Amino acid sequence: MGRYRYDGSFEGYLSTLCLALAERDEAVEFVRDAPETEPGLFDGPAIAVVTGKGEAAAFRERFAAEVSPEAFSMLCYAFHSEREGIENLLWQYVRLGLQAGPRLCSMIADKRVNRVDRLARAVSREAHRYKGFVRFRELEEGFLYARIEPEAYIIRFLAPHFARRVGDRPWVIHDLRRSVAAVYDLAGWRLVHDITLTGSPRFTGAEEGWAGLWRSYFRRLAVEERRNPKLQQKLVPLRSRKYLVEFE
Amino acid sequence: MRLILSVPPCRISPMTNLSLEQRLALLADSAKYDVSCSSSGSSRRGAPGMVGSTGRGGICHSWTADGRCISLLKILLSNVCIYDCAYCVNRSSNPVPRTVLTPGEIVTITMEFYRRNYIEGLFLSTGVVVSPDHTMEQLLRVARRLRREERFNGYIHLKVVPGADAVLVEEAGRLADRVSINIELPSRRSLLLLAPDKPRESIIEPMRRLSGLIETSRLERRRSRNAPRFAPAGQSTQLIVGATSENDRQIMTLSEGLYQRLGLKRVYYSAYVPVSSDRRLPALAVPPLLREHRLYQADWLLRFYGFASHELLDDAHPHLDMRLDPKTGWALRHLEQFPVEVNRADYHLLLRVPGIGVRSAQRIVKARRTCRLGEEELKRLGVVLKRARYFVTAGGRYLGGISMEGPELLERLTAPGGRRASLEQLELFPARDLSVVTGEL
Repeated sequence: MGRYRYDGSFEGYLSTLCLALAERDEAVEFVRDAPETEPGLFDGPAIAVVTGKGEAAAFRERFAAEVSPEAFSMLCYAFHSEREGIENLLWQYVRLGLQAGPRLCSMIADKRVNRVDRLARAVSREAHRYKGFVRFRELEEGFLYARIEPEAYIIRFLAPHFARRVGDRPWVIHDLRRSVAAVYDLAGWRLVHDITLTGSPRFTGAEEGWAGLWRSYFRRLAVEERRNPKLQQKLVPLRSRKYLVEFE
Repeated sequence: MRLILSVPPCRISPMTNLSLEQRLALLADSAKYDVSCSSSGSSRRGAPGMVGSTGRGGICHSWTADGRCISLLKILLSNVCIYDCAYCVNRSSNPVPRTVLTPGEIVTITMEFYRRNYIEGLFLSTGVVVSPDHTMEQLLRVARRLRREERFNGYIHLKVVPGADAVLVEEAGRLADRVSINIELPSRRSLLLLAPDKPRESIIEPMRRLSGLIETSRLERRRSRNAPRFAPAGQSTQLIVGATSENDRQIMTLSEGLYQRLGLKRVYYSAYVPVSSDRRLPALAVPPLLREHRLYQADWLLRFYGFASHELLDDAHPHLDMRLDPKTGWALRHLEQFPVEVNRADYHLLLRVPGIGVRSAQRIVKARRTCRLGEEELKRLGVVLKRARYFVTAGGRYLGGISMEGPELLERLTAPGGRRASLEQLELFPARDLSVVTGEL
């Protein structure tokens, strides 16, 4: 049995898959680089995987060719659910896929594929939802700043969308749950890890004015005779309201 | 015969000494009865030097307290109106405060809201002032500034004013993603009664012209990717339900014609909210929301499920059954076609099974290529069997557990698990983002 230690990133995971496949391992254990995953007394030594862009890309090519690009995208979304044990679930998925080939994506009634399919769709749904839920605020420092706390690690699905859309201002989307931010500087975006707020963000003078205008517009737009807060809560769950300007 | 109004139309002048916030609120009040807010149907990537992009499925940014999605900044340029349509909150005889926003103000608000990601774009409408041409020109002024000066590449939905000059209507289509003219009421007679200033021709004619221009542009763009776009997200319309006496059959036949002959993207149905005590209008205690909901379900069946309106409604059944969704109603009248075997039935037949939607039907067809489907597998696929179980077999086994012919079937379908009461609520309203399934909000 192979025991692999990787950096927790998607690229790192793909590099690990490359290695494990080359070793012809069957049962595999994945360990993330983190203080709380120090080896237990009876654990064997872990192989430290060096994250390599080349390996990751090679795996992607291979999986897309032998199975399908759609299957790779399921793998990618599902991985970002960050669900406990996702590495092993996807390891089964990958092995099954390399046996079954292009049929994998239609095997959604199979338990192993079904679990991946559900997770992937949940992540993709959340990423789509957040394309609407991100709220930028204008900061004194001269950029737009948005805070989010999504369930899944969706920031890398959001960043390209906003880079294409709000391309004339620098912006930062900050995932406070994971202390990671997507930073856009007019030329392109990149992820910055271990970001913490040192103080509360300072909004520009105009910012509160626009937010207030939006809030009052939002309230007036509801038709009183059709009031249905239960439906509203289903569509905008309380947990996603924290940074929505109109619910403040 | 024209009825004499109880309140004489008065000359109204807009209040301009209000703050921006007050005016925005007043104009939101005036715009909110327009149902459409979809930002779908147009796909345009962002470009350097421009702000904004559009996505095929549209994006909802928030939901108001009535559970309706906000995607676009839905606003009136002015709620001053020379017309006196009885059902409309902005009719000239209605003593509500009137105000205007300048094109510059709307442009600024749109850009500021868009950058903060409050909205997907702008849905601009207005009351009719001076003349249809003058009014249309005001709307165009906003759209031109957004596109040319602000280099705004996001979604724009423009209302076309009935009676406006063809040249102006054409320009609207070149600037906007979607254009719409509200048909308002389902029949010529009702229109004459409640909106005497808007003859049916002044509505249908421009719709027809838009439809031709949209089709032409679509064909040209198929030949050359550089051909100019004309309302790439098509045109939509809205009609008010429950303010006049038309039955559901008349309404659905009208919609079917609009979809088939004029190629409309959407017909919106708006349950009449009593905004007026005009005696030509019914005195409703609450808007007919359940009826509106059933009409939307039937509309979905026309657009995505291959149903024809005469299958859902005919002389014997001119109204949709309020107890059942229209597909279940149809299935109960056609029990001879059921049960269908999920492992064999073709896609179009699966779509006709009550409780099986587009997504479920697609997943069934996909999954059965590699696996024989039983009840367990169907559940795993996420197929909701609450209604479907009475109409299918899985691997030869009937999942309903009761006789299909008995009266028990209707009973089970009309009172599913004691949730009867919530039918009056809008919970079943298809406002969810179905874009992934249908490419259309």
